[in-house]
Amino acid sequence: MATISIEGVTKSFKGKAAVRDVDLEVADGQFMIIVGPSGCGKTTTLRMLAGFEKPTQGVVRIGGRVVNDVPPKDRDVAMVFQNYALLPHLTVEKNLSFGMRIRREPRKTVEREVAAIADMLGITPLLGRKPAELSGGERQRVALGRALLRKPQAFLLDEPLSNLDAALRAQMRFELKRIHAQFPVTTVYVTHDQVEAMTMADEIALMNEGRLQQVAPPERLYSEPSNAFVAGFIGSPKINLVPATVLRDGSEPVISLLSCRIPVNGDLGSVLERMDGDAVTIGLRPEEIQPCPAEANGTPVVQGLVELVEPLGSETHVTVRVGQEILVCRFPPRSGLETGATINVRFDPQQMKVFDADSGLRLG
Amino acid sequence: MANLRERQRLRPSTLAWLTPAAALLIGLFLVPICYAIYLGFTNLELLGPTAQNYSFTGLANVQRMVHDPVFWSSVKLTLIFVVGSGIIAQTVLGLALALLGQRAHVTVRASVGSVVVLAWVLPEICVAFIWYAFSQAGGTLSVLSGHSNDDLLSTVPLLIVCVANAWRGTAFSMLVLSAGLRNVPQEADEAAQLEGASYWKRLLRVTLPIIRPTLMINMLLITLGTISDFTLIFAMTQGGPGNQTAILPVYMYIEAFQFNALGYGTTIALALMVIGALLSVFYIRQLRPELRRAS
Amino acid sequence: MTSTSLPGQVAGQDENAATADRPGGSGSRLADWRPGGRKLIVSAVMAVIGMAFLLPLVWLILAAFNPHATSGMSAPAFSFTNFRAAFQAGAGSAIANSFYLAGVSTIVATVVSTLAGYVLSRHYVPLKGPILVIVIFLTGLPVTLLLIPIYQMFVKINWLNSPFYTSLVLGATSVPFAIWLLKNFIDQVPRDFEEAAAVEGSGQFQILWRVVIPLIMPGILVSAILTFINSWGAFLIPLVLDSSPGDTPGAVGIYEFITANGQVQFGPLAAYGILFSVPVIIMYIISSRWLSGGFSFAGGIKG
Repeated sequence: MATISIEGVTKSFKGKAAVRDVDLEVADGQFMIIVGPSGCGKTTTLRMLAGFEKPTQGVVRIGGRVVNDVPPKDRDVAMVFQNYALLPHLTVEKNLSFGMRIRREPRKTVEREVAAIADMLGITPLLGRKPAELSGGERQRVALGRALLRKPQAFLLDEPLSNLDAALRAQMRFELKRIHAQFPVTTVYVTHDQVEAMTMADEIALMNEGRLQQVAPPERLYSEPSNAFVAGFIGSPKINLVPATVLRDGSEPVISLLSCRIPVNGDLGSVLERMDGDAVTIGLRPEEIQPCPAEANGTPVVQGLVELVEPLGSETHVTVRVGQEILVCRFPPRSGLETGATINVRFDPQQMKVFDADSGLRLG
Repeated sequence: MANLRERQRLRPSTLAWLTPAAALLIGLFLVPICYAIYLGFTNLELLGPTAQNYSFTGLANVQRMVHDPVFWSSVKLTLIFVVGSGIIAQTVLGLALALLGQRAHVTVRASVGSVVVLAWVLPEICVAFIWYAFSQAGGTLSVLSGHSNDDLLSTVPLLIVCVANAWRGTAFSMLVLSAGLRNVPQEADEAAQLEGASYWKRLLRVTLPIIRPTLMINMLLITLGTISDFTLIFAMTQGGPGNQTAILPVYMYIEAFQFNALGYGTTIALALMVIGALLSVFYIRQLRPELRRAS
Repeated sequence: MTSTSLPGQVAGQDENAATADRPGGSGSRLADWRPGGRKLIVSAVMAVIGMAFLLPLVWLILAAFNPHATSGMSAPAFSFTNFRAAFQAGAGSAIANSFYLAGVSTIVATVVSTLAGYVLSRHYVPLKGPILVIVIFLTGLPVTLLLIPIYQMFVKINWLNSPFYTSLVLGATSVPFAIWLLKNFIDQVPRDFEEAAAVEGSGQFQILWRVVIPLIMPGILVSAILTFINSWGAFLIPLVLDSSPGDTPGAVGIYEFITANGQVQFGPLAAYGILFSVPVIIMYIISSRWLSGGFSFAGGIKG
């Protein structure tokens, strides 16, 4: 049983905390992706799992065993590094079999397993070459192969696709999922690319400035972000974060947003009812803003000026200026819009995400 | 390599600015080399009749050399000196210090490094008399090794000069190999750790193979530097006692300027150059795969 | 290069590549595993080696300041008697001669090599390839081969016993390495500045003097310092080419001092040695700031 457990882990370098008080559980066989901007602490966390860094505080468990004081070579984990970390003086074949030869496994076994992995990853013709002679994608596969051959308790991957070009990256995403389906080993994968995270993960752990922001499956991360940072990080184009104010209209709270007044009721109403004049931030996903005729029933409508039209073929990204705010919208293709045109857009208040203006925490 | 953007014409400044260097190199390198190749086959002497009227003597000097037991002993001593004190002692010590330095406390690394480098910066003549004193009867080395009444320079002269040279030269290897170690990708070492390799296994199978080109260059440079080393040994022992430390450069000097045989001395120098060239070829051969990949 | 003559700075901070999230850590953090444990053992071993290296230097300093110095370890003292004796034996003029020899050879070698290095880097030179090969080949040539023919040549044209011509020879021995060093250094400097100056009508020499030399000054200084240190300790060449008593440089002077009296006088000898070493040590300390990157060239070839 190879669960991974990070309990209250903090890691400081010379007094500055790179990872603060992180709690994370990875179930056996799960594909967990840790994602976040540069410097958020994701790689440090991964390296603590591998054993190259020791937590300043907290406990790391692999397979139930506390591994804080266990050196990397005894942890039975395999890692795929960002720069592949292939041994430059060895052929592909010798790279793949390095660990097995260290453990003095019988030669026949080594040959057989290396051949099997090479075949599965499509790198058999490369076995006699040295890493310098391979392309980025090929080196990637060799690094993967080496990790797979270990049959470890857990896989750790540190931005393995970031050095590949876009087309190759898409292909490798598919391959990685396929391999994981075939070898359901507990996997922790680190990346800064939210597309990789959304498409590959069973669960995503989003980090920022050393702290965990939210841990959830991709859909929930998208539709129910726990704070403004999460909402802004996941989703492309980025969610529109618009400042608004909560006012009281009689006994009901009302959100004043982009010169609209939106009554609030239900659960959100009870959260906001004690506010009067407080600032909040409203999140509107680009696809939730649609063009409409001047008056529409029920939903708030605002008028704005088209600033930028970016046709992508399957959809069009239109940047609309409403008053002082800029909204990026995803419209259907062939919108027929031009820069400078006036346009009416509407949005659905039910879909709005309301965040506290200071802390960014989601209110409703 | 010709830069396509350069105009392919000879500028006046080109010739003018190359001339001083060319004059020095041709006059003080190339011409002497050619002259040496001639002189090595003559009977030129320092004093006496054949100082002025010397003549070409064909292979007489070579014959003399081949039958000269001191020459062959000198060759052997030279190889022992170069390999023992240069390759083995300096490289091993330098590597050890470089590896230790990677893990040691910063202050220790900096201060030990400074001491080792200081030994290297000290002029060679000073190294010579320091170790001369050290190995005299009553000198510190003699005392420490339990032979305080012995003049170690008489009993084990070759060993002493090897140790002195190792003491002097280790810094170079330490610095070159430290730089080489810095070029070992950290991730490769970490990957090897995950594969279960212990420190020594990693050293043997990852670190050393990766720095192999650096090691080869280091040994080439040490060889070339040591093979023509004169001052240290001459100042300590003058080649003695009785030719026991007469490596080729020292033997050449003795023959040329103490026994007046300038022609024969040149022959010995030519032999030295040949040996140096052979060793260089050996090292360059070791580097060939890397050189090919770099071009 | 005639003797190992590449001073450089001790390996400073580890500048290992750190991945984006990690502040630069050093090596593999095995130090983390037993805080104090491994690092302590390694540091201790290194310190022991360091102390072994230190012993001869300790002797040198103790002997220089102790009027009753012997070949063994002297008790710490503080007397200048030995230094006075050294000066009486000619240390002052010997060191002055060394300054002359090293100075002239450095100036000649550096000027010559800078010009040549620049031309070989920037200009079209017929047969540049073979010329560079010859230069590299000359770098590794044992100087002992040149000694006798140059002696013989100097006899014929009566250039013996001249400090100036001797320093020319010393300078020449450093030139091949200096050319190689400077040419490679200049190769790395972008041509843009020179091209801009050329477009504005500067002549070749002006470009060199006003644009290039300021840019490559670190390389020039490195080359000059290496040449100086190399020439400062010169022994064999001055010994053979200049036997005038007044021209004796430091190394030869010390040698003569060792063999001068019946018994070797270790105290004054040590003092003489320290006096002779001080200029070079100072030069090394100054240059180590410039040379911290100097050893990467040998370590830069990756597998």
